[in-house]
Amino acid sequence: MIKSDVIVIGGGIAGMVAALVSARNGKRVTMLTYGEGTLPLNSGVIDILAYDQQHHYVENPMKAMESLPEEHPYHRIGREAVEEGISFFREVMGANGLPYAGSFDRHLFVPTAVGTLKPTSFAPRSLAGSRVFQGRRKIVVVSVRGLKDFYGSIMLENLKKELGESRSYEVAVVDPNLGGGRDITTQDVARWLESDEGRRNFVAQLRSRGGSDAVFIVPQVLGLKDGELSEELEERLGAPLVETTCLPPSVNGMRVQRILIDALRKAGVNIVENTRVIGAKVKGSKAISVTAEGCARKKEYTAERFILATGGFYSGGITMRDFDKPKEVVFNLPVSFVKGEAGWANDKLFSDQPQGFAKSGIRTDAAMRPLGADGKVVLENVRVCGRMLAGYDFCFEHSGNGVAISSAYKAARE
Amino acid sequence: MEHATVIVIGGGATGVGILRDLSMRGIDTLLIEKADLVNGASSRYHGLLHSGGRYAVKDQEAARECIEENKILRKIGRSCVEPYGGMFVRLNSDPADFEDAWVEGCRVSGIEAKQISLDEAFRIEPRLSKNVVSAYMVPDAAVDGFRLSWQNVDSARRYGGRAKTYEEVVGIITQNGKVKGIRTRNAFTGLITKISCDILVNVAGGWAGQVAKLAGLDVGVQPDKGTLIAFNQRICNHIVNRLHKSSDGDIFVPHGSITILGTTSMSVDDAEDTSTARDEVESLLAIGEQTFEHLRDYRILRCFAGSRPLYIPPGGAVGRSASRGFAIVDHGEQDGLEGMFTMVGGKFTTYRLMAEKLSDAVCKKLGNTMPCRTAEEPLVPEVPEEERKEARSYFPSYGTDLAATRLGPDRFKSVVRRLKQDPEKRELVCECENVTRAEVEEIANEPSVHQLSDIRRRTRVGMGTCQANFCALRSASIFADCRKGRQDDAAQDSLAQMKELLEGRWKGIRPVLLGRTIREMEMTRGMYELLFHVNGGATK
Repeated sequence: MIKSDVIVIGGGIAGMVAALVSARNGKRVTMLTYGEGTLPLNSGVIDILAYDQQHHYVENPMKAMESLPEEHPYHRIGREAVEEGISFFREVMGANGLPYAGSFDRHLFVPTAVGTLKPTSFAPRSLAGSRVFQGRRKIVVVSVRGLKDFYGSIMLENLKKELGESRSYEVAVVDPNLGGGRDITTQDVARWLESDEGRRNFVAQLRSRGGSDAVFIVPQVLGLKDGELSEELEERLGAPLVETTCLPPSVNGMRVQRILIDALRKAGVNIVENTRVIGAKVKGSKAISVTAEGCARKKEYTAERFILATGGFYSGGITMRDFDKPKEVVFNLPVSFVKGEAGWANDKLFSDQPQGFAKSGIRTDAAMRPLGADGKVVLENVRVCGRMLAGYDFCFEHSGNGVAISSAYKAARE
Repeated sequence: MEHATVIVIGGGATGVGILRDLSMRGIDTLLIEKADLVNGASSRYHGLLHSGGRYAVKDQEAARECIEENKILRKIGRSCVEPYGGMFVRLNSDPADFEDAWVEGCRVSGIEAKQISLDEAFRIEPRLSKNVVSAYMVPDAAVDGFRLSWQNVDSARRYGGRAKTYEEVVGIITQNGKVKGIRTRNAFTGLITKISCDILVNVAGGWAGQVAKLAGLDVGVQPDKGTLIAFNQRICNHIVNRLHKSSDGDIFVPHGSITILGTTSMSVDDAEDTSTARDEVESLLAIGEQTFEHLRDYRILRCFAGSRPLYIPPGGAVGRSASRGFAIVDHGEQDGLEGMFTMVGGKFTTYRLMAEKLSDAVCKKLGNTMPCRTAEEPLVPEVPEEERKEARSYFPSYGTDLAATRLGPDRFKSVVRRLKQDPEKRELVCECENVTRAEVEEIANEPSVHQLSDIRRRTRVGMGTCQANFCALRSASIFADCRKGRQDDAAQDSLAQMKELLEGRWKGIRPVLLGRTIREMEMTRGMYELLFHVNGGATK
């Protein structure tokens, strides 16, 4: 039996933030993880809210939050925790060389790998596109020979639609000479740019393509660790560089992940990897322990408090083998969901209303404690955060990391 | 005016079979299809090459035809057939007397049905329910309906046969009780074309009634919808059939790395109706799990539906009791319209035989005495081993054989050339199905390709485990690149193409959104809605 003050179940962005906040509050924290969470997939930008429930773009996320339906987790989390939680996250990133630009009341725009501009609230300097597009007439998309999932022509096609025909657009191809007959990834290129030789070579290949009103749009390759490379390369090229969101794996997501894991270790959090939590012991309205399956045997972890950040359907925190029977796998908490086929999924994938299935999850009170169908708290010492929460479709409204970080912050504080 | 001796309406298996057969007999033949080839029942089914066991009790003539054609297709379409063998299993809840009738039916139909011990059955199919009480092996196989059909067209082309896709027949021109030609409308441009012919063949499957109506004729076709489920894993190694009176959800067919379970049987008004719903999925699962008890633990890839074109003679039966046989109508004899034939009914396994019978009738009318040779000559020549060997240095892992069977010898040679010349073309666009950039580019430049989904059907990009998650971006980008500078080409709007590809996948995913499938959708939506903002409205 292993005892802690707080056990965090789940090692994605919500779990890591919850564990870090708890540890910095002086708690003994154990984090049980199985897999990676979604950071390596999701580009690590902080969306708070970009679309309302009718799919209208919202200028001011904090203001639009007030008109969300009552079921939305932002109403449980509250404006204050959203601001505090995200500020906490930014401090951690900033202190580790990856400062996030942005603001709470208006969006910045990040270029994407298809050439659209994606609204978000906070992004590392290297991804914050709106910083540089103003007044720049020459858009240079930098593709890398042999790199997968970054296609210059589709980017030009759509950037022209987004930024207007009055600018000039071109593709510059950089050859890192990494081919050797295999597909190369953004990580390979980022590693190349971390070498002095790589950066020298990169600058030499691009210098003639720049100019005082140019901006370079690049895949997520500007270093594996932090934002330093982006500043250095901008200085040497004499023009700003902007990274795009991209297909997984996301180098920026991995930068964030690495910084959070380092911070957790420094704060003394006990991280137990490869541990799938499969059940819990409960006494009345109190959770006593959780049971985890490691490589070899089952173990029980006891704590005063449990934070559930198991990532919903995506990460296996909720399963559904039969229609209309979703199951929360650790505490068997009641899952709120839309019953029947009609409200479960829309006719269109890219719809003008949220998808019913995506709103499945655990309803909580303002202290992020799980609620039953009767609206009463089910387990007093359990807190729920991130994708486990009911009542929001993060893809539709663009609110993923915003809800994850702020709900985790609140779950750890309450 | 464009002319063909024979015009064939309908690009399903029967249509392409007739195109090949007539072309091989030296008759100038043109096939017209309103969408892409093989978009109807010929691809929307189990992909089962029947041994005939399914029909051994009810319809021994059909059973005999199946086993004969089964043997022929294994020979002429080697790269389209996966010869896994089939198993018929009776559960303890299935009536025992049917088993006796079935064994006798197989015997008289010439189907080799060999009883195996239960130990042997559980050894070769370990996931079978322990409620199985007897098991037989039959020569069933899996068959790729897409590939077999395209190979028919490729074969016909070598004999001068022609095919036009995305041309819908909107009028049949007749004069003095004789067919003179057709009017077609292009799906993209709306342009109307007149084509004259001596003979018109209507093999539009579920749409045959509508086509006949264009000539003022009445043909009784009842579209009968069957829904199927594709699982992301191989549940069994053989085709597994329930040994009972044919019913819903009682056949499992493994294909490559997936398994298809089906089907339902439901009369629908319109062959275009390929909708699927949760209750159909649920009923298939409920029946399927009697044979494989852990069925619900597998991830469902998608579901899909197609319509069997059942021929209903006046006063005939419908649904499961309707005949799976086929009928040829000579409208000259029946309706006094000389030069037009309609063929309906039948099943994929016997498409070649149906094509032969119809072609015989056409040849008789034309006074052509050439015999049918479609059963002797392979559809496409095999890719020689030396060429495969060379290709292995450029293709990823097992991709060489997959590409060789998908592409056939001529395109394969061209793709290998692309791979050799430019290492960047070795990029794997689709990891699930092992499709390289070179192959996508090869197909994207073919005249029959108009949109991204045409490339999908030809290369299998987007049809595997990830259901286009990764390759939607890649294939749309490459497609747009290949078609650069073509005015008004669908490829130019790459976001629309990408979205259409994913919406097409969604259609089959929506009714099967259970836990593991939701997981995949969280990822798809996270990538395309969130990271790429493809569902964006006005943001500025």
